[in-house]
Amino acid sequence: MEERSFIVTAAPVPGFLRRYVFSADHKIIGLQYFFLSLAAVLIGTFLSLLMRIHLVWPNISLPFFGQIKPENYLAYLTMHGTLMVFFVLSTVPQSGFGNYFLPLQLGVSEMAFPKLNAAGFWTTFLAFLVLIAAFVVPGGASGAGWTQYPPLSALASAGPGQALGTDLWLVSIGLFCCASVMGAINFITTTLKLRAPGMDLMRMPLTCWTWFVTAVLTLLAFSVLLAAVLLLLLDRNAGTDFFLPAGLIVSGAAVRNGGGSPLLWQHLFWFFGHPEVYIAILPGMGVTSHLLSVFSRKPVFGYRAMVGAIVAIGFLGFLVWGHHMFVSGMNPYAAFAFSTLTTAIAIPSAIKTFNWLATLWGGRIRFTTPLLFSVGFVSLFITGGLTGPLLAQPALDIYLHDTYFVVAHFHLIMAMAGLFAVFAATHFWFPKMFGRMMNERLGASHFWITFLGAYAIFAPMHLLGIAGHPRRYSELSGVQYVAAMAPLQKFITVAAIVTISGQVIFLVNFFWSMFKGPAAPDNPWECTTLEWTLPSPSPQQGFGEQDPVVNHGPYEYRGPGLEKDYVMQNAPSP
Amino acid sequence: MKAITLVLAILLVVAACAYLLLAHPWWFPVGVSAHSASVDHQFSVAFWLLGCLFVAGHVLLATSLLRSHGKARHPSGDWRLELFWTLAIAAVFFGFNIAGIRLWSQMKFQQPEAGAIQVEVTGAQFKWYFRYAGPDGALGRTDAQRYARPNEGNPLGIDPGDPAGQDDIISNALVLPVGRDVDLTLRSQDVIHSLFIPAMRFKQDAVPGMNIHAHFRPIQTGTYEISCAELCGLGHYRMRAEVRVLTQQDFKYWLKYQELPK
Amino acid sequence: MPTISHVTERKPTLGDGGGPGKTPRRRGYGGDDGDHGQPEEFLPGQRRLRRYRVGVAVFSMCVTILFAGLASAYIVRQQMGGLWDSDHGTLVSNWRPLTLPYRQLWINSLLLIASSLTLELARRGQLKKAEFAAMGILAPRLQRELPWLGITLLLACGFLAGQLLVWSNLRHQGVYLSGSPSGSFFYLLTGLHAVHLAGGMVVLLYALMGGSMKRKFESQRIAVDATGWYWHFMAVLWFCIFALLHFGKG
Ligand code: HEA
Ligand code: HEA
Ligand code: CUA
Ligand SMILES: [Cu+2]
Repeated sequence: MEERSFIVTAAPVPGFLRRYVFSADHKIIGLQYFFLSLAAVLIGTFLSLLMRIHLVWPNISLPFFGQIKPENYLAYLTMHGTLMVFFVLSTVPQSGFGNYFLPLQLGVSEMAFPKLNAAGFWTTFLAFLVLIAAFVVPGGASGAGWTQYPPLSALASAGPGQALGTDLWLVSIGLFCCASVMGAINFITTTLKLRAPGMDLMRMPLTCWTWFVTAVLTLLAFSVLLAAVLLLLLDRNAGTDFFLPAGLIVSGAAVRNGGGSPLLWQHLFWFFGHPEVYIAILPGMGVTSHLLSVFSRKPVFGYRAMVGAIVAIGFLGFLVWGHHMFVSGMNPYAAFAFSTLTTAIAIPSAIKTFNWLATLWGGRIRFTTPLLFSVGFVSLFITGGLTGPLLAQPALDIYLHDTYFVVAHFHLIMAMAGLFAVFAATHFWFPKMFGRMMNERLGASHFWITFLGAYAIFAPMHLLGIAGHPRRYSELSGVQYVAAMAPLQKFITVAAIVTISGQVIFLVNFFWSMFKGPAAPDNPWECTTLEWTLPSPSPQQGFGEQDPVVNHGPYEYRGPGLEKDYVMQNAPSP
Repeated sequence: MKAITLVLAILLVVAACAYLLLAHPWWFPVGVSAHSASVDHQFSVAFWLLGCLFVAGHVLLATSLLRSHGKARHPSGDWRLELFWTLAIAAVFFGFNIAGIRLWSQMKFQQPEAGAIQVEVTGAQFKWYFRYAGPDGALGRTDAQRYARPNEGNPLGIDPGDPAGQDDIISNALVLPVGRDVDLTLRSQDVIHSLFIPAMRFKQDAVPGMNIHAHFRPIQTGTYEISCAELCGLGHYRMRAEVRVLTQQDFKYWLKYQELPK
Repeated sequence: MPTISHVTERKPTLGDGGGPGKTPRRRGYGGDDGDHGQPEEFLPGQRRLRRYRVGVAVFSMCVTILFAGLASAYIVRQQMGGLWDSDHGTLVSNWRPLTLPYRQLWINSLLLIASSLTLELARRGQLKKAEFAAMGILAPRLQRELPWLGITLLLACGFLAGQLLVWSNLRHQGVYLSGSPSGSFFYLLTGLHAVHLAGGMVVLLYALMGGSMKRKFESQRIAVDATGWYWHFMAVLWFCIFALLHFGKG
């Protein structure tokens, strides 16, 4: 048992490069995605720190960085949003944990198309490099926000960073789209075709359900984004006029006469963008459902309702994009439909929330770190989610659109809830991935800091938004009523500095446990799903020659008073 | 132990959020347009409705953490319960949604009164221009690409050959008479901007290539700030202007002399 | 050694919590292919084949959405946008109706249909051979004769060459990628379709050579089969594009 470190493998293995770098093994690919995201989240978090500092102390000179200029702020903002949305929350919950655990939970030892999977990772990696390269090109990284609305993003003369930096952004996202689609094809085919004997669809853990539905969303949404990105690239570089309207003068110079429609981009982008935010959160929902059941030693409450809600969210997610465009100049009649459909999508989300609470209700809860983060997820999801139906009202959104109220909404529900699920999943699956346990004390202290910190940073932003503070302001001095909000902004910055410093605990815990943590037993959490039938860390060959046979549902936790309160999915049938 | 701490942390968060929102050191500016009252009302409905759900949800979460004993009644689900809360939350959300839709149709589908003040708003990196038809009551033709000379007093590119344009008034502030509808035509010369007047509960994007109409009615004199709410480049944060709401007489005077009566 | 831990056989005292605690309704694979009653050796290959077919179906869905996105952009751009006419205060459409070289386009379409048919013949041939091979009548060797594959490739080259002719025809009319949006969309839609078809050709070529394949016979069969379905999809897609360009000319 002590021998089993994830670095030492017993069987004769191919060389290091083949095994750990250019591997087609879904477990290695999962880890690769994980570490890529870790790099992205560190950069993204660091950028948010720089942004926060610049906002409240614009003249401060930082060691190594000097003074942050307004154009840097916008570049940091764009890169922060892009890294976090694409390379963190579309990557680690789905491609990272999904790649590692989807096959194992389904009881198979490989993905449907292992080579395609590897190609997907390396394309993502390339996309990441292209995106980061934008920092060092002339003009710097794009400053048009993660939504890249043209004409700002279509014209090199519209601002610093709108030259090569924006081209790199578009190329990077184009590559990312291709990579995501490759991953999605793999996930869908694996789920449909490769399950172990007896693993009916309705016996899949909810994690697998969310990975599956997320893959479908990825497939459809990213294809549309790819189309949009192609069009914008052509507008920028081939003289076409899909988005570029007529009669512009930018920086004092007339621009070629286009006749395109800037709103077209917004429709295409948000047709992708809204499903995208569910891509970011659905795997987190799956993890939360799974962990709440495991650690309250109770079946998931309403498994079927949960599956129904996942599918409903996936479906409705494609019908609500217009709620980002209430003030865009879109036909006001369309707002009716979008507002109502958006209200409709809040209902399956609420169903999930109720079922989480009911799962916890009356359980015998084990307060481990993964549980703490899952409870944190539920709390953040409620708080961030409840502002959703409010924003979905065009009459109210007119005021709140593009203010910090929206920033508060999506950081709570997407950024913080999403990352909490990632933290929970990391603590939960760490034993299976690295063969060691993470430290519970450090884990808990990290949770307290991050939970309180998340609220301290993002709850006050609601007030900023209600007071009318527009987002994407690189300085507070330009508008008087905004300048008056500086004290609250200062508080937020201080909270962010503390919270971000607190992440060091996580990093220390993570890397220390990877090498020095206590060796993990095969099934440390007494969990029923198939990955826990494997030794820790999971061996290269997965289940080996013999697929497990599934006889039980994924959440068969029994009442108290039994010597063993759970039934593995592959236990012989009663 | 951890259970108690977790419950306390959750309650602390709820209490802090509740305090923050109820004490609200920063809040909406006073609403000074005809529709602000109903918007504010709708917001406070939302605030209390969602606020109660927020508190209820967290109290339930905290309670379920405390009631950890392993004696659940319907451990793996109960479709009646499922149906109940689905219908309940749907009723709440859709009720709220219908109220919002009503408000929206009041705001958007009532035409501005006949004889509303016509103002053309143009956004340009990083300035707002407000154009009024002069005594002739007609706006001059513009062609920004051909005629715009920001430094020579023609930032909008009014066609010098068009007589209707000779008497147009271009202002840096949105000057309005109190109690009358204003019909704005929003346009942009370069990228997308967004005219945001918090005190009027008003926001509308100005999209290049489009003429977007929007209207509201100021009901109180005074000076209010305008900011730009759509990322438009480097100077986005300082793309500021003012609304000056004047009495009817002062407004007439201003239209004539472009200054306020002494 | 990964052993599967069998735990107590006590009946669960609590209900299902997702997934009934009953014996599975059927004992096939979760992703059951229903290959029951087939000779044993035939099964693994067949399963792999089914997997690739699903993969192709899923990929086709993705390509459909890509083109659907572009098509909706096409329609929107035709309705909205245009040049600003300051004299009249209106937008004037700058959508220039295209005169399509129909003769060439129909020839290309016929070439594409023909290639689809020949590839279908190749696909069916391979399927037969695989069955024979499974019955032991035929040696599972890499098939080098495959006339139909070669013909398919030739026809596809013909199609692409025909598309080049179409493009040069349009260029002679003065329609370029930049300029009127109708031209931009024309080149974009047909160009992307050509790129996707070329991708299929690469796989066919690979199947024809087959040198670097591991389980040669089986892999070749899968490559031909999967490309076959993809190819039919490409043909359908082509007619959708053609219809869009024809009916949405302006
Ligand atoms: C993970 C990501 C995520 C998720 C899940 C959501 C969920 C929702 N979002 Fe959000 N949203 C974003 C990410 C997300 N959003 C992002 C990134 C943006 C901004 C993009 C940008 O402009 O940059 C945005 C912006 C955004 C807007 C546009 C705002 C604007 O720009 O003006 C709107 C408007 O309708 C909206 C609505 C909603 C709604 C109705 C939900 C619903 O699905 C929410 C449903 C959840 C609930 C309703 C909570 C359930 C809980 C209860 C019901 C309480 C239970 C009570 C008891 C037990 C008593 N979102
Ligand atoms: C996943 C999404 C995500 C995350 C995590 C964050 C995290 C943070 N964000 Fe960000 N943000 C966005 C997504 C995200 N953001 C988006 C999409 C925008 C809009 C961009 C645009 O307008 O174009 C935005 C914009 C944005 C703004 C708006 C600026 C403006 O409009 O002017 C601000 C301002 O304060 C801000 C602050 C912060 C802060 C302080 C953090 C934090 O740093 C909070 C503290 C950090 C943590 C708690 C997590 C750290 C985690 C780790 C160190 C390790 C995790 C590792 C793994 C296990 C892989 N963000
Ligand atoms: Cu103009 Cu922002
Ligand atoms: Cu949305």
